[in-house]
Amino acid sequence: MGHYPQCVATRFPAGRFTLWVLDVGLACCAVEVVAASLRASAEPVEGRPADVLVVAGTLTDTMAPAIARLYAELPEPKHVISFGACADCGGPYWDSYCVTKGVDQLIPVDVYVPGCPPRPEALLDGLQTLASRIDAGVLAG
Amino acid sequence: MTDLPPRSRGVIALLEENCTSCMLCARECPDWCIFIDSHKETVEPPGGGRSRQVNVLDRFAIDFALCMYCGICVEVCPFDALFWSPEYAYAAGDVAELTHERDQLREWLGSVPPPPELDPTGPVPAEVDRARSQRAPG
Amino acid sequence: MPVSSLADRLVALVDGGTPRVEFGRLTLDVPAAGWVAAATAARDDPGTDLSCFDWLSAVDELDSGFDVVLSVYSATHRHRALLRTRVPRSAPRLDSLVPVFAGADWHERETHEMFGIEFTGHPGLAPLLLPPGFEGHPLRKDFVLAARVAKEWPGEKEPGGDRPRRRARPLGVPEDWEQP
Repeated sequence: MGHYPQCVATRFPAGRFTLWVLDVGLACCAVEVVAASLRASAEPVEGRPADVLVVAGTLTDTMAPAIARLYAELPEPKHVISFGACADCGGPYWDSYCVTKGVDQLIPVDVYVPGCPPRPEALLDGLQTLASRIDAGVLAG
Repeated sequence: MTDLPPRSRGVIALLEENCTSCMLCARECPDWCIFIDSHKETVEPPGGGRSRQVNVLDRFAIDFALCMYCGICVEVCPFDALFWSPEYAYAAGDVAELTHERDQLREWLGSVPPPPELDPTGPVPAEVDRARSQRAPG
Repeated sequence: MPVSSLADRLVALVDGGTPRVEFGRLTLDVPAAGWVAAATAARDDPGTDLSCFDWLSAVDELDSGFDVVLSVYSATHRHRALLRTRVPRSAPRLDSLVPVFAGADWHERETHEMFGIEFTGHPGLAPLLLPPGFEGHPLRKDFVLAARVAKEWPGEKEPGGDRPRRRARPLGVPEDWEQP
Protein backbone atom coordinates (compact mmCIF):
# COMPACT_ATOMS: atom_id res chain seq x y z
CA MET A 1 0.00 0.00 0.00
CA GLY A 2 2.74 2.43 -0.84
CA HIS A 3 3.92 4.37 2.15
CA TYR A 4 1.44 2.81 4.53
CA PRO A 5 2.61 -0.74 5.13
CA GLN A 6 0.78 -0.83 8.43
CA CYS A 7 -2.64 -0.22 6.81
CA VAL A 8 -4.72 -3.33 6.79
CA ALA A 9 -7.56 -3.84 4.34
CA THR A 10 -10.54 -5.82 5.54
CA ARG A 11 -12.41 -8.19 3.28
CA PHE A 12 -16.18 -7.59 3.37
CA PRO A 13 -18.71 -9.71 1.53
CA ALA A 14 -21.21 -7.48 -0.32
CA GLY A 15 -23.61 -9.21 -2.67
CA ARG A 16 -21.71 -10.87 -5.46
CA PHE A 17 -18.69 -8.71 -4.74
CA THR A 18 -15.99 -8.98 -2.16
CA LEU A 19 -14.87 -5.52 -1.22
CA TRP A 20 -11.57 -4.76 0.38
CA VAL A 21 -12.19 -1.95 2.81
CA LEU A 22 -9.71 0.44 4.34
CA ASP A 23 -11.20 2.19 7.34
CA VAL A 24 -10.04 5.71 8.07
CA GLY A 25 -11.35 5.91 11.61
CA LEU A 26 -11.20 9.54 12.64
CA ALA A 27 -13.63 9.65 15.58
CA CYS A 28 -16.45 7.73 17.26
CA CYS A 29 -17.83 6.26 14.01
CA ALA A 30 -14.67 4.18 13.79
CA VAL A 31 -15.99 1.98 16.60
CA GLU A 32 -19.08 1.16 14.56
CA VAL A 33 -16.95 0.19 11.57
CA VAL A 34 -14.98 -2.18 13.78
CA ALA A 35 -18.25 -3.63 15.06
CA ALA A 36 -19.40 -4.06 11.45
CA SER A 37 -16.26 -5.95 10.54
CA LEU A 38 -16.90 -8.32 13.45
CA ARG A 39 -20.54 -8.84 12.47
CA ALA A 40 -19.72 -9.51 8.85
CA SER A 41 -16.99 -11.92 9.88
CA ALA A 42 -14.68 -9.81 7.80
CA GLU A 43 -11.02 -10.78 7.74
CA PRO A 44 -8.16 -8.31 7.87
CA VAL A 45 -5.32 -9.00 5.46
CA GLU A 46 -2.03 -7.16 5.26
CA GLY A 47 -0.57 -5.91 2.07
CA ARG A 48 -3.74 -6.10 -0.03
CA PRO A 49 -4.64 -2.76 -1.61
CA ALA A 50 -8.11 -1.49 -0.77
CA ASP A 51 -11.05 -1.05 -3.14
CA VAL A 52 -13.08 1.06 -0.78
CA LEU A 53 -12.00 3.82 1.57
CA VAL A 54 -14.45 4.24 4.43
CA VAL A 55 -14.08 7.64 6.05
CA ALA A 56 -15.63 7.32 9.48
CA GLY A 57 -15.63 10.30 11.80
CA THR A 58 -15.08 14.03 11.92
CA LEU A 59 -12.68 15.51 9.40
CA THR A 60 -10.85 18.48 10.91
CA ASP A 61 -9.01 21.05 8.83
CA THR A 62 -5.74 19.89 10.37
CA MET A 63 -6.29 16.29 9.27
CA ALA A 64 -7.60 17.16 5.82
CA PRO A 65 -4.28 17.09 3.93
CA ALA A 66 -3.54 13.61 5.27
CA ILE A 67 -6.83 12.23 3.97
CA ALA A 68 -6.36 13.88 0.58
CA ARG A 69 -2.90 12.36 0.33
CA LEU A 70 -4.14 8.93 1.40
CA TYR A 71 -6.82 9.00 -1.28
CA ALA A 72 -4.32 10.10 -3.92
CA GLU A 73 -2.03 7.20 -3.09
CA LEU A 74 -4.70 4.53 -3.39
CA PRO A 75 -4.51 2.59 -6.66
CA GLU A 76 -7.44 2.65 -9.09
CA PRO A 77 -10.23 1.54 -9.12
CA LYS A 78 -11.11 3.12 -5.82
CA HIS A 79 -14.36 4.09 -4.16
CA VAL A 80 -15.17 6.15 -1.09
CA ILE A 81 -17.90 5.63 1.44
CA SER A 82 -18.61 8.53 3.76
CA PHE A 83 -19.78 7.03 7.06
CA GLY A 84 -21.64 9.09 9.62
CA ALA A 85 -22.97 12.62 9.80
CA CYS A 86 -19.55 14.25 10.32
CA ALA A 87 -18.04 12.69 7.22
CA ASP A 88 -21.20 13.36 5.19
CA CYS A 89 -21.46 17.10 5.84
CA GLY A 90 -19.72 18.11 9.05
CA GLY A 91 -22.60 16.71 11.12
CA PRO A 92 -23.22 18.26 14.55
CA TYR A 93 -19.90 20.09 14.26
CA TRP A 94 -20.78 21.90 11.04
CA ASP A 95 -20.48 25.22 12.82
CA SER A 96 -17.01 24.58 14.28
CA TYR A 97 -14.05 26.78 13.45
CA CYS A 98 -11.88 23.95 12.20
CA VAL A 99 -14.12 21.18 10.91
CA THR A 100 -14.33 20.40 7.21
CA LYS A 101 -17.99 20.17 6.30
CA GLY A 102 -17.89 16.71 4.85
CA VAL A 103 -15.15 14.62 3.32
CA ASP A 104 -16.64 15.32 -0.12
CA GLN A 105 -15.07 18.77 0.11
CA LEU A 106 -11.78 17.03 -0.54
CA ILE A 107 -12.35 13.74 -2.33
CA PRO A 108 -15.18 12.34 -4.45
CA VAL A 109 -17.62 10.24 -2.43
CA ASP A 110 -19.64 7.39 -3.91
CA VAL A 111 -21.99 6.46 -1.08
CA TYR A 112 -23.11 8.48 1.95
CA VAL A 113 -24.24 6.59 5.03
CA PRO A 114 -26.31 8.73 7.42
CA GLY A 115 -26.29 8.28 11.17
CA CYS A 116 -24.71 9.60 14.31
CA PRO A 117 -23.24 7.07 14.56
CA PRO A 118 -24.78 4.75 11.96
CA ARG A 119 -25.42 1.19 13.08
CA PRO A 120 -22.76 -1.34 12.08
CA GLU A 121 -25.44 -2.90 9.87
CA ALA A 122 -25.77 0.46 8.12
CA LEU A 123 -22.18 0.10 6.93
CA LEU A 124 -22.99 -3.31 5.51
CA ASP A 125 -26.01 -1.75 3.80
CA GLY A 126 -23.78 1.05 2.49
CA LEU A 127 -21.41 -1.54 1.03
CA GLN A 128 -24.38 -3.28 -0.59
CA THR A 129 -25.49 0.05 -2.06
CA LEU A 130 -21.99 0.57 -3.41
CA ALA A 131 -21.92 -2.91 -4.90
CA SER A 132 -25.28 -2.41 -6.61
CA ARG A 133 -24.17 0.93 -8.01
CA ILE A 134 -21.06 -0.70 -9.41
CA ASP A 135 -23.24 -3.45 -10.81
CA ALA A 136 -25.58 -0.93 -12.39
CA GLY A 137 -22.66 0.67 -14.15
CA VAL A 138 -23.08 3.95 -12.33
CA LEU A 139 -19.59 3.65 -10.91
CA ALA A 140 -16.43 2.31 -12.45
CA GLY A 141 -14.77 -0.82 -11.31
CA MET B 1 -31.97 -8.85 9.62
CA THR B 2 -30.97 -7.93 13.14
CA ASP B 3 -33.37 -7.90 16.04
CA LEU B 4 -33.49 -4.23 16.85
CA PRO B 5 -34.45 -2.86 20.28
CA PRO B 6 -37.92 -1.23 20.28
CA ARG B 7 -36.70 2.33 20.82
CA SER B 8 -33.97 2.24 18.18
CA ARG B 9 -33.39 5.57 16.52
CA GLY B 10 -33.03 4.96 12.84
CA VAL B 11 -35.07 7.58 11.04
CA ILE B 12 -37.79 10.11 11.89
CA ALA B 13 -41.31 9.80 10.47
CA LEU B 14 -43.82 12.63 10.12
CA LEU B 15 -47.59 12.33 10.62
CA GLU B 16 -48.58 15.37 8.65
CA GLU B 17 -52.15 15.43 9.94
CA ASN B 18 -50.90 16.22 13.44
CA CYS B 19 -48.48 18.94 12.37
CA THR B 20 -49.64 22.54 12.87
CA SER B 21 -46.41 24.17 11.59
CA CYS B 22 -45.71 25.52 15.06
CA MET B 23 -41.97 25.55 14.13
CA LEU B 24 -40.90 24.22 17.53
CA CYS B 25 -38.94 21.30 16.08
CA ALA B 26 -37.17 23.52 13.55
CA ARG B 27 -36.25 25.98 16.29
CA GLU B 28 -35.07 23.46 18.83
CA CYS B 29 -33.03 21.36 16.40
CA PRO B 30 -29.35 21.91 17.38
CA ASP B 31 -28.14 21.20 13.86
CA TRP B 32 -30.69 23.36 12.02
CA CYS B 33 -31.64 20.44 9.83
CA ILE B 34 -35.44 20.72 9.78
CA PHE B 35 -36.90 22.95 7.05
CA ILE B 36 -40.53 23.97 7.30
CA ASP B 37 -42.54 26.17 4.95
CA SER B 38 -46.18 26.88 5.59
CA HIS B 39 -48.93 29.33 4.75
CA LYS B 40 -52.27 30.27 6.25
CA GLU B 41 -55.62 29.26 4.80
CA THR B 42 -59.11 30.17 5.83
CA VAL B 43 -61.33 27.19 6.54
CA GLU B 44 -65.11 27.13 6.90
CA PRO B 45 -66.15 24.55 9.49
CA PRO B 46 -68.70 22.14 7.96
CA GLY B 47 -71.50 22.72 10.48
CA GLY B 48 -71.48 26.50 10.22
CA GLY B 49 -69.79 28.87 12.59
CA ARG B 50 -67.17 31.46 11.93
CA SER B 51 -64.30 30.71 9.58
CA ARG B 52 -60.94 30.07 11.05
CA GLN B 53 -57.36 30.24 9.95
CA VAL B 54 -55.22 27.14 9.81
CA ASN B 55 -51.59 26.66 8.98
CA VAL B 56 -51.06 24.52 5.89
CA LEU B 57 -47.77 22.75 5.51
CA ASP B 58 -45.98 23.45 2.21
CA ARG B 59 -42.68 21.84 2.91
CA PHE B 60 -41.36 19.70 5.74
CA ALA B 61 -37.89 18.35 5.15
CA ILE B 62 -35.30 16.78 7.44
CA ASP B 63 -31.70 16.68 6.28
CA PHE B 64 -30.51 13.33 7.58
CA ALA B 65 -26.94 14.04 6.54
CA LEU B 66 -26.81 16.72 9.24
CA CYS B 67 -29.16 15.04 11.72
CA MET B 68 -27.47 13.76 14.85
CA TYR B 69 -30.46 11.68 16.01
CA CYS B 70 -30.71 13.46 19.35
CA GLY B 71 -34.53 13.22 19.37
CA ILE B 72 -35.13 16.76 20.58
CA CYS B 73 -37.59 17.38 17.74
CA VAL B 74 -39.59 14.23 18.57
CA GLU B 75 -39.67 15.15 22.27
CA VAL B 76 -40.59 18.78 21.84
CA CYS B 77 -43.41 18.34 19.32
CA PRO B 78 -46.56 19.28 21.25
CA PHE B 79 -48.83 17.47 18.80
CA ASP B 80 -46.98 14.14 18.51
CA ALA B 81 -46.40 14.51 14.80
CA LEU B 82 -42.88 13.08 14.77
CA PHE B 83 -42.03 9.47 15.53
CA TRP B 84 -38.90 7.37 15.75
CA SER B 85 -38.52 4.46 13.39
CA PRO B 86 -35.79 1.83 13.62
CA GLU B 87 -35.08 1.78 9.85
CA TYR B 88 -31.42 2.47 9.17
CA ALA B 89 -30.75 1.26 5.65
CA TYR B 90 -31.16 4.41 3.58
CA ALA B 91 -27.62 5.17 2.41
CA ALA B 92 -27.55 7.23 -0.77
CA GLY B 93 -25.19 8.03 -3.59
CA ASP B 94 -25.68 11.76 -3.25
CA VAL B 95 -25.87 13.95 -0.14
CA ALA B 96 -28.96 15.72 -1.50
CA GLU B 97 -30.83 12.42 -1.46
CA LEU B 98 -30.40 12.32 2.30
CA THR B 99 -32.78 15.26 2.70
CA HIS B 100 -36.12 13.56 3.03
CA GLU B 101 -39.23 15.51 2.03
CA ARG B 102 -42.81 15.13 3.23
CA ASP B 103 -43.78 12.11 1.17
CA GLN B 104 -40.70 10.17 2.17
CA LEU B 105 -41.18 11.09 5.84
CA ARG B 106 -44.75 9.81 5.60
CA GLU B 107 -43.53 6.51 4.16
CA TRP B 108 -41.40 5.91 7.21
CA LEU B 109 -44.59 5.86 9.31
CA GLY B 110 -45.11 2.31 8.16
CA SER B 111 -42.08 1.18 10.12
CA VAL B 112 -42.80 3.05 13.34
CA PRO B 113 -43.28 0.46 16.11
CA PRO B 114 -46.26 0.67 18.48
CA PRO B 115 -45.52 2.48 21.74
CA PRO B 116 -44.01 0.27 24.45
CA GLU B 117 -46.26 -1.23 27.08
CA LEU B 118 -46.51 0.62 30.36
CA ASP B 119 -44.36 -0.80 33.12
CA PRO B 120 -46.70 -3.09 35.16
CA THR B 121 -44.75 -2.38 38.35
CA GLY B 122 -44.72 1.37 37.81
CA PRO B 123 -47.11 4.00 39.17
CA VAL B 124 -50.62 3.99 37.69
CA PRO B 125 -51.15 6.98 35.37
CA ALA B 126 -53.57 9.61 36.77
CA GLU B 127 -56.05 9.20 33.91
CA VAL B 128 -56.30 5.44 34.39
CA ASP B 129 -56.66 5.85 38.15
CA ARG B 130 -59.46 8.38 37.71
CA ALA B 131 -61.29 6.21 35.19
CA ARG B 132 -61.11 3.19 37.45
CA SER B 133 -62.37 5.07 40.50
CA GLN B 134 -65.24 6.55 38.46
CA ARG B 135 -66.30 3.17 37.19
CA ALA B 136 -66.33 1.57 40.66
CA PRO B 137 -67.15 4.27 43.17
CA GLY B 138 -66.77 3.66 46.89
CA MET C 1 -7.11 15.89 54.04
CA PRO C 2 -10.49 17.60 54.40
CA VAL C 3 -11.02 20.52 52.04
CA SER C 4 -11.00 23.20 54.74
CA SER C 5 -7.59 22.14 56.11
CA LEU C 6 -6.23 21.93 52.58
CA ALA C 7 -7.47 25.46 52.02
CA ASP C 8 -5.84 26.67 55.25
CA ARG C 9 -2.54 24.97 54.39
CA LEU C 10 -2.43 26.45 50.91
CA VAL C 11 -3.23 29.92 52.21
CA ALA C 12 -0.30 29.60 54.63
CA LEU C 13 2.04 28.49 51.81
CA VAL C 14 1.01 30.92 49.10
CA ASP C 15 1.30 34.70 49.39
CA GLY C 16 -1.93 36.48 48.61
CA GLY C 17 -3.94 33.33 47.96
CA THR C 18 -7.70 33.53 48.39
CA PRO C 19 -9.47 30.21 48.86
CA ARG C 20 -12.98 29.42 47.71
CA VAL C 21 -14.75 26.12 48.34
CA GLU C 22 -17.66 25.19 46.09
CA PHE C 23 -19.37 21.77 46.04
CA GLY C 24 -16.50 20.28 48.04
CA ARG C 25 -13.91 21.53 45.54
CA LEU C 26 -11.20 24.07 46.43
CA THR C 27 -10.23 26.93 44.12
CA LEU C 28 -7.32 29.12 45.17
CA ASP C 29 -7.11 32.53 43.51
CA VAL C 30 -3.52 33.77 43.37
CA PRO C 31 -2.04 36.99 41.97
CA ALA C 32 -0.40 36.58 38.57
CA ALA C 33 3.01 37.62 39.85
CA GLY C 34 3.11 34.66 42.24
CA TRP C 35 1.79 32.05 39.80
CA VAL C 36 4.91 29.88 39.53
CA ALA C 37 5.69 30.23 43.24
CA ALA C 38 2.16 29.10 44.15
CA ALA C 39 2.29 26.03 41.91
CA THR C 40 5.75 25.13 43.21
CA ALA C 41 4.71 25.51 46.84
CA ALA C 42 1.58 23.43 46.34
CA ARG C 43 3.63 20.73 44.65
CA ASP C 44 6.56 20.59 47.05
CA ASP C 45 4.92 20.82 50.45
CA PRO C 46 4.53 17.28 51.85
CA GLY C 47 1.24 18.18 53.52
CA THR C 48 -0.45 19.16 50.27
CA ASP C 49 1.69 17.19 47.77
CA LEU C 50 -0.31 18.46 44.78
CA SER C 51 2.24 17.01 42.43
CA CYS C 52 0.04 15.38 39.81
CA PHE C 53 -0.65 17.80 36.97
CA ASP C 54 -4.20 17.37 35.67
CA TRP C 55 -4.84 20.19 33.20
CA LEU C 56 -4.27 23.87 32.52
CA SER C 57 -6.66 26.07 30.59
CA ALA C 58 -8.24 29.53 30.54
CA VAL C 59 -11.63 31.22 30.82
CA ASP C 60 -12.50 34.37 28.92
CA GLU C 61 -13.98 36.78 31.45
CA LEU C 62 -14.58 39.52 28.85
CA ASP C 63 -13.49 42.93 30.11
CA SER C 64 -12.01 41.59 33.34
CA GLY C 65 -9.41 39.62 31.41
CA PHE C 66 -8.60 35.92 31.25
CA ASP C 67 -8.67 33.47 34.16
CA VAL C 68 -5.88 30.90 33.76
CA VAL C 69 -6.81 27.77 35.70
CA LEU C 70 -4.53 24.93 36.81
CA SER C 71 -5.93 21.65 38.11
CA VAL C 72 -3.64 19.59 40.34
CA TYR C 73 -4.14 16.36 42.24
CA SER C 74 -2.36 14.56 45.06
CA ALA C 75 -1.99 10.81 44.66
CA THR C 76 -0.75 10.38 48.22
CA HIS C 77 -3.44 12.41 49.98
CA ARG C 78 -6.14 11.99 47.33
CA HIS C 79 -7.26 15.57 47.31
CA ARG C 80 -7.38 18.02 44.45
CA ALA C 81 -7.33 21.78 43.98
CA LEU C 82 -7.73 24.39 41.27
CA LEU C 83 -5.26 27.27 41.17
CA ARG C 84 -6.56 30.30 39.33
CA THR C 85 -5.06 33.62 38.37
CA ARG C 86 -6.22 36.51 36.27
CA VAL C 87 -4.34 38.25 33.47
CA PRO C 88 -5.56 41.51 31.93
CA ARG C 89 -7.02 41.44 28.44
CA SER C 90 -4.75 44.21 27.24
CA ALA C 91 -1.59 42.34 28.28
CA PRO C 92 -2.31 38.59 28.45
CA ARG C 93 1.05 37.32 29.66
CA LEU C 94 1.85 34.78 32.36
CA ASP C 95 4.91 32.86 33.44
CA SER C 96 5.10 29.36 32.06
CA LEU C 97 4.63 26.41 34.42
CA VAL C 98 6.79 24.06 32.36
CA PRO C 99 9.71 24.24 34.85
CA VAL C 100 7.25 23.15 37.58
CA PHE C 101 5.16 20.56 35.68
CA ALA C 102 6.57 19.17 32.43
CA GLY C 103 3.07 18.14 31.40
CA ALA C 104 1.98 21.78 31.20
CA ASP C 105 3.89 22.13 27.92
CA TRP C 106 1.12 21.09 25.49
CA HIS C 107 -1.64 22.54 27.69
CA GLU C 108 0.01 25.95 27.52
CA ARG C 109 0.45 25.62 23.76
CA GLU C 110 -3.28 24.92 23.40
CA THR C 111 -4.26 27.75 25.76
CA HIS C 112 -1.98 30.08 23.80
CA GLU C 113 -3.50 29.30 20.42
CA MET C 114 -7.10 29.26 21.67
CA PHE C 115 -7.00 32.41 23.84
CA GLY C 116 -3.89 34.29 22.76
CA ILE C 117 -2.25 34.15 26.21
CA GLU C 118 1.53 34.32 26.07
CA PHE C 119 3.47 32.11 28.46
CA THR C 120 6.91 33.64 29.06
CA GLY C 121 9.65 31.09 29.41
CA HIS C 122 7.82 28.37 27.52
CA PRO C 123 10.29 26.24 25.50
CA GLY C 124 8.32 26.43 22.25
CA LEU C 125 4.90 28.09 22.04
CA ALA C 126 3.88 26.67 18.64
CA PRO C 127 0.22 25.95 17.73
CA LEU C 128 -0.90 22.49 18.74
CA LEU C 129 -4.33 21.71 17.27
CA LEU C 130 -5.30 24.44 14.85
CA PRO C 131 -4.40 24.08 11.18
CA PRO C 132 -1.46 26.18 9.93
CA GLY C 133 -2.54 29.57 8.72
CA PHE C 134 -5.50 29.83 11.10
CA GLU C 135 -6.18 33.40 12.14
CA GLY C 136 -7.70 34.42 15.42
CA HIS C 137 -8.18 32.84 18.81
CA PRO C 138 -11.25 30.60 18.62
CA LEU C 139 -12.16 30.20 22.30
CA ARG C 140 -12.33 33.92 22.99
CA LYS C 141 -15.92 35.03 23.46
CA ASP C 142 -15.65 37.70 20.78
CA PHE C 143 -14.65 35.15 18.12
CA VAL C 144 -17.56 35.01 15.72
CA LEU C 145 -18.82 31.52 14.89
CA ALA C 146 -19.23 32.41 11.26
CA ALA C 147 -21.15 29.31 10.20
CA ARG C 148 -24.12 30.06 12.48
CA VAL C 149 -24.21 33.68 11.39
CA ALA C 150 -23.97 32.88 7.69
CA LYS C 151 -26.44 30.01 7.42
CA GLU C 152 -30.09 30.97 7.38
CA TRP C 153 -31.81 29.64 10.50
CA PRO C 154 -34.80 27.49 9.51
CA GLY C 155 -36.58 28.50 12.72
CA GLU C 156 -36.68 32.18 11.81
CA LYS C 157 -39.86 31.68 9.79
CA GLU C 158 -43.07 32.16 11.72
CA PRO C 159 -45.81 29.50 11.64
CA GLY C 160 -48.10 30.03 8.66
CA GLY C 161 -45.56 32.15 6.87
CA ASP C 162 -46.27 35.30 8.86
CA ARG C 163 -43.92 38.22 8.90
CA PRO C 164 -41.54 37.64 11.86
CA ARG C 165 -43.07 39.43 14.83
CA ARG C 166 -39.87 39.63 16.77
CA ARG C 167 -36.29 39.23 15.67
CA ALA C 168 -35.96 35.55 16.54
CA ARG C 169 -32.38 34.63 17.28
CA PRO C 170 -31.11 31.05 17.15
CA LEU C 171 -29.46 29.67 20.25
CA GLY C 172 -25.85 30.66 20.61
CA VAL C 173 -25.95 33.81 18.47
CA PRO C 174 -25.72 36.91 20.69
CA GLU C 175 -27.52 40.14 19.90
CA ASP C 176 -24.58 42.14 18.66
CA TRP C 177 -23.32 39.80 15.94
CA GLU C 178 -23.88 41.18 12.47
CA GLN C 179 -25.86 39.37 9.84
CA PRO C 180 -24.03 39.15 6.52
